[in-house]
Formats: sequence, C-alpha cells, structure tokens
Amino acid sequence: MLRIILQRLFTAIPVLFLVILVTFVLIRLAPGGPFDAERAVPAEVLENLNKRYKLNDPLPVQFFDYLSNLLRGDFGPSFKYPSRTVTEIINAGMPVTLELSVYALLVAVIFGIGAGVIAAMRPNTLQDYVPMSLAMLGICLPSFVLGPLLILFFAIGLEWLPVSGWGESPGDKILPAITLGAGYAAYIARLSRGGMLETLAQDYIRTARAKGLAEWRVVFVHALRGGLGPVVSFAGPAVAGLLSGSFVVETIYQIPGLGRFYLQGAFNRDYTMILGMTILFAFFIIVCNLLADIVQVWLNPRLRSLHGGKTA
Amino acid sequence: MNDLANMHYEKGRSLWQDAFSRLKNNRLALLSFAVLLLMVLLALLTPWIAPYSYEEQNLNLGASPPSMAHWLGTDVFGRDQLTRILYGSRISLMVGFIATSVALCIGVLWGTIAGYVGGRLDAFMMRFVDILYALPFTIFIILLTVVFGRSLLLLFLAIGAVEWLTMARIVRGQVLSLKHQEFIEAAVAMGFSRWRIMLRHLAPNVIGPIIIYTTLTIPSVILLESFLSFLGLGIQPPQSSWGSLISYGVETMEEYPWLLIFPALSLSLTLFALNFLGDGLRDALDPRVSKD
Repeated sequence: MLRIILQRLFTAIPVLFLVILVTFVLIRLAPGGPFDAERAVPAEVLENLNKRYKLNDPLPVQFFDYLSNLLRGDFGPSFKYPSRTVTEIINAGMPVTLELSVYALLVAVIFGIGAGVIAAMRPNTLQDYVPMSLAMLGICLPSFVLGPLLILFFAIGLEWLPVSGWGESPGDKILPAITLGAGYAAYIARLSRGGMLETLAQDYIRTARAKGLAEWRVVFVHALRGGLGPVVSFAGPAVAGLLSGSFVVETIYQIPGLGRFYLQGAFNRDYTMILGMTILFAFFIIVCNLLADIVQVWLNPRLRSLHGGKTA
Repeated sequence: MNDLANMHYEKGRSLWQDAFSRLKNNRLALLSFAVLLLMVLLALLTPWIAPYSYEEQNLNLGASPPSMAHWLGTDVFGRDQLTRILYGSRISLMVGFIATSVALCIGVLWGTIAGYVGGRLDAFMMRFVDILYALPFTIFIILLTVVFGRSLLLLFLAIGAVEWLTMARIVRGQVLSLKHQEFIEAAVAMGFSRWRIMLRHLAPNVIGPIIIYTTLTIPSVILLESFLSFLGLGIQPPQSSWGSLISYGVETMEEYPWLLIFPALSLSLTLFALNFLGDGLRDALDPRVSKD
C-alpha cells in the first residue's frame, strides 16, 4: 500500500512541474503586456514597471525565480492590483470556493449514491426509471441554466431563499450548493447504479442473501463497498469539474471565491493572477486524483497486486 | 419449413442490420434523432427561414413577451428572439460538430497508433493521455483564450484538443483486442504497410465504439462552448451562441424571463436528444455494455 502511494506521488510531482512550466511559457507568449492599459503609459514608467516585476530578465531566470517563490508559498504580486499579492487574493477566495465545493460534493454524493442504489435495487421498474430520468435531467441541465432557474423559482417566485450572496443571510448557501452539485449527483447516480448492478449479481452477494441477511444489510454493507468503485474513480475528475464549475456558480450568485478572481484576471490580463491560480487548481486536481487512486486501491484489494509491479 | 428458412437468413444479418433493428425499437432514441435532424435542418436553413433580420433593432418595441408577430418575444433592443436563437443554434451546433471532428481525428489516430504499434511507444503515448486527463481543462481553455485572444477558430481547436482523450483510450482498447486476430495477420502476410493496415483494416472495425462516443462527445462540446460563452470568454458579440443568449437572459430574467427560458430550452433539448441518441446507439451497437 505504501509503495503504491509513493509511486503515485513520484509521478504526480513531475506532472505538476510540467504544468507550471507550460502555463508559465504560455502566459509569457501572450500578446500585449499586463501594462498595456487603456491609457498609454510613458515609456520610462513602463520600463520601471518591467524592472520592478523583473520582466526584463531572461525567461529561464524568471521561471526559476517564480518557482523558488512558489515553493515558499509566494505567488508574486498581482499585476493589476499592485497593493495586493496573488497569495492574499488566493487566501481570501480559497476558503469560500472550498466551502462551496465541499457542500456541492456532499449534495452530489448523498443524492447521487442514494439515487443510484435505489435504482439498482429494482432495475427496470418505476423505482429505477424515476431516479434515472432525474439523473438524465441533471446531466442535460448545465449549471448556468439550472442556477438561474432555481433563482427564478425559489428566490424570486416563492421568495424562500435569497437571490445571491454567501454567508450574508440564512440559507444563501443552499442554492449555490445544489446548482454546483446537481450535475455531479446525476453522473454519480448513473455510475453507482451501474456499479451496484454489477456487484449485486456477484456470487458473494448471493451467499450473503442465502445466509438470510436483511436486504438493507446486503445492499449497504456487502454490496456498496464493491459497487462504489466507478464512483471513486470519478471523484478525481469530479473535483476538477467542481472547481471550474464554481466559476459559473460564483458568477451567478455573486460569491467572492477564486472563480470570480480568476475570471477577473482573465478579462484584465492579470498574468500573475492567472498563472498562480492555474497552478493552484492543477495542484488541487492532481492531489484529488492521487487520493481517488489510493481510496480505490483500498476499496478493491485486487488492484493492489495489479498495480504493485507496474509503473502505471 | 418457412420458419426454418427465415431463421437461416437471420443468422446472416450483419452487425449493422442487427444494430439498426435494435435501435428501431428504441422510441426515445428515434425521437431524439428526429429532433436533432430538425435542429440541424433549421440551423442550415436559418438565413432563408428566419422571420426577421438578426441585427435589426427596434428600440420602440423593446423587450416584449411572446406574441403572434414575435413567437418567442423580443430582447431589450427589440430584436426577434426566434431569429437570434436560430442563428445561435448555427454557432452552437457548428462548434459541436467541428470541435468533435477535431477530437475524433486526433483521438482515433492516437489510439490506433498506440494500440497497433504497442510496446514503448504505446506506454509513452498512453502515459501522456493519463497526464492530460489529470489537468484542469476548462481552466486551460480560459488560459488559451487569454493568451491567443477570443476567436472562433481557437475555440474549435482548443475544445477539440481537450476532448480527444477518452476517444484515444477507447480506440486503443479496441485495437489491442483486434490486433492479434487472423484477418490482421493475413493482411500483414500479404505485405501491406502498417498505415494501410491501421486505416483500412483496423479503423473500420473500431467504428461502432467511435460512433457511440462521438455522439456523446458532441453534447459535452456544445456544453463547454456554452459554458465559455456564458462566462463571456467564448463567442463575442455581435455573434451569439446559445450560451451567450442564456447569459444575456440571466441578466434580465426577473423582468423578462422569456429571454432566459427559450435559449435554455433549446440548449437543454439538444443536449437531451444527443445523450438519448448516444445511449440508444450504445445499447444497439454494443449490447454487452449496459447503461454505464
């Protein structure tokens, strides 16, 4: 088990390095510098700015400067808001985005697995069709459609919940969490239905039933562990999706999270901001994939011997 | 006797006839296919059938709810919404098809080469795919739009370039399982070149999974484009896609909900149809695989 974890860790680090390198080079390739504002800046001022932000150094020097700063947790100054560093902005936005993502993930896991298990218990009956049709709806209603519709009905129409905000009035976190989580709940429902159907057909489940165990015990204790494999391997990509999905949800509900800052950075050509946040997102996603891999091996001991000897 | 003769014929049915007969019984998939056909037809004929001009503003009218003159209402500039949705569908569907073709080409080529050549090259190529899988694509696309500006061409390439990964994996798996079959050995024995074997002998046999996955890639591409356009990073005005129409609709949804509802409905309907058709094709072409 430890060997597998170390193995994955050793492949993850070069990937992260590669991401940083590619992002850095891409950003430097971008036409138009960060100081090409609407108002023309005098040449001397521009020169001073470039010097201050070390934009005149050769590219490899800049890269290694940046890298060594990164290792100390310093993402550099924001080009657009000289008074704030990217690290400060990340520190302000990250807790919000993480909180939102965790709630959304909870919505996705609870409703997704619940619906999938319920559907798999009686396949091809109404108990299967109703949750699976809802799941199809969840897949085909993107968050930027679902969010406004939810606001229209629950906030403006029924006035049950606030239209926007985060932590300002009671209940204002409910709609964002549902908006972000619904699509993933739908995918998880489909995945867990498939996984459960496969597991429930296995011999050891028949044995469990033959022993006279209660059906709920068979389903939730014996089958669930095996049936969740596909869901766990989806968790890595799901977290990636949640983070980029939070861009839309944060925009719709005016939540001051990382996504809003990233978009502002994209519109303002705030290079250090985009660079820092891309790396941060990539880091999150690589870590989540790593965790998903490890949990999967833990859930399914057969994978241990499979992966033990290979580099993959 | 007659029955026996019929049975004999049925044995000779090809995979395609078999698949078609299964698909024919899937009403939802057929309905989806009809809806899609209609959508594509409307999009193609838009310049001739659109009731109003795309850009013509009528500020006296302003935003008006659906009426006999304007079936789906008008936006704040008095532009006919039906016309704008029709034109939007051209962009959304075009992005869907073109970016998917890009993904298709890269994915099929990549997967076939990796699977057929095998060995170190295979390990290297698939490792590359694994690495890309672990990266935040949407964020990279946003990065690309920042670096290269927001152009339609870039959108096609960028979306295509991220959507090919699963295709490559699927094709590789299929090729691996076909590689050691006799007909490939026969082709090798006849002295055909590697490229000929890959393109003429292997690729056609992988076509089933490719079709299924292509049908399922199109909705995710359309979704991605709408997502970017919603954020203001995709299609730029005066052009508009469903995503940007939805984004305008959201701004004024309290006063003029129809500006949100109709573009959202068009997008969702298309996504529904493509997903149902993809599921139907999967059941028809590959009965071993259940729904997920």
